[in-house]
Amino acid sequence: MAEAQTRDFPGTLDLDALYRDSNVAQALEALERDLVGLAPVKRRVREIAALLLVEKLRRTVGLEAAAPPLHMCFTGNPGTGKTTVALRMAEILHGLGYVRKGHLVAVTRDDLVGQYIGHTAPKTKDVLKRAMGGVLFIDEAYYLHRPENERDYGQEAIEILLQVMENQRDDLVVILAGYKDRMDRFFESNPGLSSRIAHHVDFPDYTPEELYAIAQRMLAAMQYQLSDAARAALAEYIERRRAQPHFANARSVRNALDRARLRQASRLFERRDAPLCARDLMTIEAEDLRASRVFAAHEEGTR
Amino acid sequence: MRLTQGTFSFLPDLSDHEIRAQVDYALGQHWACSVEFTDDPHPRNSYWEMWGQPMFDLRDAAGVLEEIKACRAAHPQCYVKLNAFDATRGFETMRLSFIVQRPAAETRFTLEREEGAGRVQRYAMRRA
Amino acid sequence: MGTMERPQAQRAAQERYRAGVLKYAEMGYWVPDYEPLETDVLALFRITPQEGVDPEEAAAAVAGESSTATWTVVWTDRLTACEAYRAKAYKVEPVPGAPGQYFAYIAYDLELFEPGSLANLSASIIGNVFGFKPVRALRLEDMRLPVAYVKTYDGPPTGIVVERERLDKFGRPLLGATVKPKLGLSGKNYGRVVYEALQGGLDFTKDDENINSQPFMHWRDRFLYCMEAVNRAQAASGEIKGHYLNVTAATMEDMYERAELAKELGSAIIMIDLVIGYTAIQSMSKWARRNDMILHLHRAGHSTYTRQKTHGISFRVISKWMRLAGVDHIHAGTVVGKLEGDPNSVQGFYNVLREPHNPVDLQRGLFFEQPWAGLRKVMPVASGGIHAGQMHQLLTYLGEDVVLQFGGGTIGHPMGIAAGATANRVALEATIKARNEGRDLWNEGPSILEAAARGCKPLQAALDTWKDVTFDYASTDTPDFVPTPSPV
Repeated sequence: MAEAQTRDFPGTLDLDALYRDSNVAQALEALERDLVGLAPVKRRVREIAALLLVEKLRRTVGLEAAAPPLHMCFTGNPGTGKTTVALRMAEILHGLGYVRKGHLVAVTRDDLVGQYIGHTAPKTKDVLKRAMGGVLFIDEAYYLHRPENERDYGQEAIEILLQVMENQRDDLVVILAGYKDRMDRFFESNPGLSSRIAHHVDFPDYTPEELYAIAQRMLAAMQYQLSDAARAALAEYIERRRAQPHFANARSVRNALDRARLRQASRLFERRDAPLCARDLMTIEAEDLRASRVFAAHEEGTR
Repeated sequence: MRLTQGTFSFLPDLSDHEIRAQVDYALGQHWACSVEFTDDPHPRNSYWEMWGQPMFDLRDAAGVLEEIKACRAAHPQCYVKLNAFDATRGFETMRLSFIVQRPAAETRFTLEREEGAGRVQRYAMRRA
Repeated sequence: MGTMERPQAQRAAQERYRAGVLKYAEMGYWVPDYEPLETDVLALFRITPQEGVDPEEAAAAVAGESSTATWTVVWTDRLTACEAYRAKAYKVEPVPGAPGQYFAYIAYDLELFEPGSLANLSASIIGNVFGFKPVRALRLEDMRLPVAYVKTYDGPPTGIVVERERLDKFGRPLLGATVKPKLGLSGKNYGRVVYEALQGGLDFTKDDENINSQPFMHWRDRFLYCMEAVNRAQAASGEIKGHYLNVTAATMEDMYERAELAKELGSAIIMIDLVIGYTAIQSMSKWARRNDMILHLHRAGHSTYTRQKTHGISFRVISKWMRLAGVDHIHAGTVVGKLEGDPNSVQGFYNVLREPHNPVDLQRGLFFEQPWAGLRKVMPVASGGIHAGQMHQLLTYLGEDVVLQFGGGTIGHPMGIAAGATANRVALEATIKARNEGRDLWNEGPSILEAAARGCKPLQAALDTWKDVTFDYASTDTPDFVPTPSPV
């Protein structure tokens, strides 16, 4: 077996210096700061960052010249932070020099696929050109493939994508995203695509505690607070809503808070003759939350 | 004869690496790059053929280089040039334009003269 | 009975207009709390009063003598709304570092001026004051022309953008050369110089300011031979070329005749000298606009009044006037060449010509904010003792929208005129290419030129011949406000 050739290099290598110089630390810190929970995801991102860092160091001593595979797949329910993590990943890749400019272009099927013959190729190529030098994030990528409809042009977009992912790895990193089960089925019928994905990251649903913490952050940012009773109501709300269909994690929490604000405003308006203080304007009461259909449905179900 | 139109015609033909550097400069100035080709490089020909639309909103030169390569492959006997357009107020015009492919046999021009009154000549340039 | 009850204002008026001599400041020309209107024309004068003359009185005198005053009170003033017509000196400041000199700011009502007439503007502002005895020296330093006034002018007939599109040349300065020797060549030999220079790689060649129509070369001969040379060079290179045909003559009729022939011969550009006068310049601008001709202005004679800081008119005012009058090219200084030009002052002139709007920039000598109301941009021309070895400095000081003229630097080349032209063109393109690639032009310029010269013998010869030539003399026309480095 051939010995790996290393160039003459000073005895010790400084991985920490590379880490500090590359701005990767900032990106990872931002990840910690901006996203609640997501422990397994953050761990995975740190692992990938470590791999890329070590790859870079290896290259400086002359090992393994081929570019490491970088395309990724993020699976999970909506509202679990996939786009945010993709942005941070773009920063990490840029900080380590794997992409030249580090911007993120986020698209769905409709941005890539045309409505008539000959429309798809230029559309896809335009998107790819705009994304070059950075990261292309394709949300709900499985919609590219619609085998039931023979006039569907998604396959053409997939072919072009495959070509670029293979031949222009220096120019573009692709991140596909969507529900796990659908993504698995998509990969089964597109083994070419599946084989080019190097890193799979799964985004689990937030725990109820994490969702509660997210809600607290959102409220603080909007300058609202919960009454004691409202706090209990919120916790209950989260438990119930999670069990219901179409739960979009952080997004659903956001929607619920927006609706609660609406109800608070109506409540204050109804009683506008009564004296008001600033505190009243800031406080969400239990009734603002309990008016939700989420509670009603549950009660109906138990009848 | 070497056609000396474009910003860099007196230098040796730019390599793809050097073209990329110029495109990066143009993109950094937020100019839109476009590729054009022609077999009629007469200086009064203002309208070379467009190879696709001008590329707005690009961040990186890779896409532009791909288009240049594709245009060269499709029209190996044509002149191909790269333009960079600046849409800001006070300019709204090309800011950079240079040739990125020349045909193997470059176009030569001859000068035709039509004599008028008082030794006034009416000149025309024609392809040789 | 009557006297006691007459109102204050009337009594003041009676005082004011009683026959006799009053100080100008008392006649209403010094108004320190006056707020200039958007529509006022403002002028900044640098005044050196005579011994014993108060600066505010001197400023008021300049205001008065450039508007409605005379040396004694006249009753006919009262037939007019004279407060409106009086120019108002509203601010006087000592010039930093120049004891005995003062900046005086004077405002003129818009109504004092005929729309679109530079002759009227200049006659009004400078027509009467400069010989005034109480003022030992006087310089018109800067002017602010309100948008309302600017809009009455057509401005440059072509402008930088359209010129480039017509020539199809983008991304680099244009290159020119004045035919040398200045005088004596016959038409045919003159055309030879033009052909060699254009065919070698320059974009333009140029008649010198005093080449009009002399015994050694009649103008019509010159035009015919030059256009032959231009067309030959175009066919040889595939690029558009031009020669500035000088149509300056004794009368307007002669100038029109010459310009018409230039047009008939298909020239892209004609040239006039500043000495034909402001009215003639505006007429030629109008002609150029009507006939799609680029108009080059040589600033012949300006140094008689622009060079000394104490007395005359600053070139920045001339630049503003010429942009209004409507020229497409104007010589504006090189900084590193043989003629007067401090870097900050020259950049000030270039900004006045090229920018859509000038903010206040005391370091570059721009004292007022100046809007240009969409008037087209004038291409500055840098000409006079510059050579290829200075390309990186020229680009750094002057930018990209400029015509660089290398007369001696082309025609004096040891390998011949065409080689000289090629040397300049290669030096320019290589420097632009390096700048776009992100190289540090100021420090790496010489090595960029060396590298380009390795592939181009004419450039190597040019660098070898002229590398030690510099014109390092103290500038006379420097800005008054230069930031001093703060102590570390």
